[in-house]
Amino acid sequence: MSDIKEISPNTLALFGIIGGLIGIYLSPLYPPFTSTFGALGAICAVIWGAEAVRRVAKYGLGTGVPSIGQIAMGMGIIAAMFGLAIVKAMPLAGPIVSLITASVIGFIIGWFAQNVIKMKIPVMIRCMTEIAAAGALVIIGFSAAVAGSYDFTRSLIPLVFDNGVMLAVFWVGAMAMLHPFNACLGPDEKQKRLLYLAASTGAITMAIIGIAAVMTLGASGVITLLLGIILWLIFYKKFWDEVYKDAAAVVGTGLIPKTEA
Amino acid sequence: MVAIDPTMLMNIFLIGISGTLICIAVHFIPVGGAPAAMAQATGIGTGTVELAAGSGLVGLITSSYMYAYEPQASMALVMAAGAMGSAIMLASTMLAGGLIYAYGVAVPFASAQVKKDPITGQRQDTYVSKGTQGQGIPTICFVSGVVGAAFGGAGGGLIYFVLMGIYSPLISASAAAVAGVFTMGVFYVNSVIPSYGVGGTIEGIHDPKFRRVVPKDTITSFVVSLICGLVAVLIAGGMV
Repeated sequence: MSDIKEISPNTLALFGIIGGLIGIYLSPLYPPFTSTFGALGAICAVIWGAEAVRRVAKYGLGTGVPSIGQIAMGMGIIAAMFGLAIVKAMPLAGPIVSLITASVIGFIIGWFAQNVIKMKIPVMIRCMTEIAAAGALVIIGFSAAVAGSYDFTRSLIPLVFDNGVMLAVFWVGAMAMLHPFNACLGPDEKQKRLLYLAASTGAITMAIIGIAAVMTLGASGVITLLLGIILWLIFYKKFWDEVYKDAAAVVGTGLIPKTEA
Repeated sequence: MVAIDPTMLMNIFLIGISGTLICIAVHFIPVGGAPAAMAQATGIGTGTVELAAGSGLVGLITSSYMYAYEPQASMALVMAAGAMGSAIMLASTMLAGGLIYAYGVAVPFASAQVKKDPITGQRQDTYVSKGTQGQGIPTICFVSGVVGAAFGGAGGGLIYFVLMGIYSPLISASAAAVAGVFTMGVFYVNSVIPSYGVGGTIEGIHDPKFRRVVPKDTITSFVVSLICGLVAVLIAGGMV
């Protein structure tokens, strides 16, 4: 690889978990105005998830990067529904139970992929666990941004499931996590560039979720929409600058030799 | 929490079975991935997950349509509706793909895995271009794909049927949405697991890879689907 210092997976995991949970827990404080925090938390989880996808997909999955984004959301949605629904008496525990359930499901699938299907990817178990957990936080965060709260039966079912917004959360959330590595992969792939792109895909997802929030929460959804667009412009510009900087580094390699070596 | 009773265990088992059906379905579908998109391998030119999920979700739509208009429909009927929808979806995908391979790319349809097509009995190896793994979608792949899609659709229909049975008494109007989303989650998990097993490409039931990978993928899928089933039943406990 390169001599550039990369942010360690543990730091990013902490950033994703703490940022994601803070955002989710802030979302129902003063409804509907604080619902935006749910989407901001989800962006933290997107960045963490995208980096975990990067670490595992580097080994070559044989099925393309999108498959891992889809399994992340599949595991995430199952765990998120379970965690939020099961803690009926104390809804505060919901997101944490979801996070733990997702990690357990991810760990089991990772273990099977490594030991039964024999994929021979050393980071498989750890990354599957991280990806599932990030997927669950992304689903809960964006859902909370649309519904204004993460209460399963009172808010999420009528405001996210019944009207089909969940499909958008599922798909756009999966895209946000799988796209950064899918777009950046290659010999000159760099973590910094990928993280900026992950933040920008998270932000554009936030803008789309903002449109859904306008539908469900009314005018206060505009905050999510506008903040999403602003964040997207900022992070896309940063990604753009990184691309230019990295592209400049390979200009001087010369032309392709005329004869085959 | 829900008390343990035979109906609950049966529901968990049925969800386990349906996840396994989806997993088996993926192995039947001729997936060529990127090489097939360049007509350098047999099968449809896209990924396993896309094909399994695409056909499976259409199966989910047709089975839920059946359930919505005939709530008293038997399990077999809902599964058959799902199987039919999926099979039609994949057959039309393969037909459209086949038209492009034949008249757009102009390649003869040939499988590199078998010497003779087990259905038509025609020789394959003489038509395989040098340096490729076959081209297009030969008869055996087409038939295998339709059978596989039917399995996947039936599996999707079965999960939906079981979940509707669990959730309808609790959240009458929203049960369809919750069951549908959960089914989608189980579907994606079970279509990605076998695609890791097959390593991205498989020609169908005649591919030697089929016998090699089906057992371990099936075990994995069954265990994971059982966990999903347990989770699905416990979610109902939170809705009471």
